[in-house]
Amino acid sequence: MTDWTLCIDFGTAFSKAAAAPAGAWTRFDPATVRPLMLNGAGAGNAFLLDSAVFVDEDRVLFGRPALARADALADKKRAALRSFKTLLSVSDLERALNTNVPATIDPHRLFQMRDLVVLYLAYLLASVDRAFVSDPMIAEGQIASQRYAAPAWRSGDSAGMHDIIVRLFGEAEAFRASVGKRMLAPEGLSLRTISDALPKATESAEPLEMGLIFEATAAAAYTSVGLEGSGSHLIVVDMGAGTTDIAALARLGPRTIELPEARVTLKQAGDFLDRVIANRVLDTASWARSADQKAELWSVLMRQMGDIKEAVFVDGRAVLRNQGRSVGLTMRDVERDPDFREFLKELRQAYDHALAVVRDDARARGRSEVQAIAVGGGAGAPFIQDLIQRKSGASRPRVTPRPATPLWAHEREFGGNLAPVFPQLAIAIGGALAPDSMLAARSGITPPANDRSDIPAGRD
Amino acid sequence: MPAGKAKRPKGPPKKSAARKRAAQGVSLSGALAEAAWSEADASLAQALADLDEAQDADDEDAREDALVRLAQSLSRAARKRGLTRIGELNAREPYDASRHALNAAVAKTPKSVRIQARGVARGGDVLEKPRVTPVERKRRR
Repeated sequence: MTDWTLCIDFGTAFSKAAAAPAGAWTRFDPATVRPLMLNGAGAGNAFLLDSAVFVDEDRVLFGRPALARADALADKKRAALRSFKTLLSVSDLERALNTNVPATIDPHRLFQMRDLVVLYLAYLLASVDRAFVSDPMIAEGQIASQRYAAPAWRSGDSAGMHDIIVRLFGEAEAFRASVGKRMLAPEGLSLRTISDALPKATESAEPLEMGLIFEATAAAAYTSVGLEGSGSHLIVVDMGAGTTDIAALARLGPRTIELPEARVTLKQAGDFLDRVIANRVLDTASWARSADQKAELWSVLMRQMGDIKEAVFVDGRAVLRNQGRSVGLTMRDVERDPDFREFLKELRQAYDHALAVVRDDARARGRSEVQAIAVGGGAGAPFIQDLIQRKSGASRPRVTPRPATPLWAHEREFGGNLAPVFPQLAIAIGGALAPDSMLAARSGITPPANDRSDIPAGRD
Repeated sequence: MPAGKAKRPKGPPKKSAARKRAAQGVSLSGALAEAAWSEADASLAQALADLDEAQDADDEDAREDALVRLAQSLSRAARKRGLTRIGELNAREPYDASRHALNAAVAKTPKSVRIQARGVARGGDVLEKPRVTPVERKRRR
């Protein structure tokens, strides 16, 4: 019976999970990497579970049904609770969990944030369980180790929040066990069931045995796994929706540490780019003169922004249709924007600072290579790719840019099907592949993220 | 196994009939392909609508505009499916029958060719070779 390592990545819009055989780090076989099919709804991407909870008239819905119901009631000022991941970033997590939920989300005023998070985590754990037993390769095995992925540097104390998070997972598991198969019913759970079971479950719950892996470390894991001669040091540029984060990691013997002095967070990221692009288009669209016309065009732009950004980044231009007219935008238009130019300048300064730190560390330890990798939604943007090419091939320690999708994801056993969806599943996969020594925290053990004790200096 | 427990009890896990069917019917590779298709479908649908507009355009400007959008939708669908292009348009290369599809009738195998349409690959598989035409030698005077 194979032991498997499971990693859960609960993202802002979607949750993902993946499993890898225990010991995959040292005996890597790409064919054994198993992203889990969390979405059992039968529609859409099977690997992406919508991060959403909706409090209805007499029940609570989860995932895709929650979003559908929220859409249907949007004109009645009702909304689903989303973006659980942002909770991981708040400076006082306990306080945030104990706040009341807005009336648009919970008109009954029954729940605190903590309740809805626990309910969603119970739904997520039940979905993981269903996916696990549905996969013929892993169903006969057992989960020997599990971890969740979290951003490392947003609040500077993600590891400190670990005890709270594993407690939430523990309450979720107790609740899931209590309600059984009803947890995944498309019609959701009745308020009565929840009010009966949730208080008892949270009272009796034990923290779940889970490790914490930082997203940058997960990126390091899927980038470096199976590469015999890969460098020990890594610089990671993570452009998400809200922030662009640069971090440096050093893999030293069996351990991975973060170099905190290299850490930089910029407040401009995907959302900022959306605004730059939308404003450039509004400037160009001469027919949108009135406030209403501009608001309508802005709304159309935001709905299609993912596709527009991708076309601008990859093809160099995008064309958008609105009210029978076409409006085009090129990458050069974006590059001419003063705000964008300022952002690019700050980004380069931040990267160069972080690179200098990681190269100094590598040099001091006699190491010869620093790998550079871009992750997150903006990884494919040309200016991010240009960034990680900066100073590559220079003097030792040399900088080696790595592809956002590792070469092993193109292996024949995946039939060309993993690579297109890899960016969405990357953190869960990297988290499952990483050895325990890469974890930022384990159950009951929360080492400082930059703990450098017991790390001998050595050469490649 | 309950995800909350560290170890699953020894012995085969209990499976419902639906889960057994699911396990037999859905391979990981198939589900990954389906996931990529679900993303590409919307772009293909847009491409079909753009094609109609290109074919029914009243004037050259409208046709050009619709063709740009068609190219954009098709490129997006291709990216979602992991397709990549092979070669550069108008690039001149030594002819290789295993790598090129000759786009013209020739009496003699050409030595050098020009890429008229780029090829398409997915992973390690070439789905469409670059289409090429012979480069005519300059005649000696």
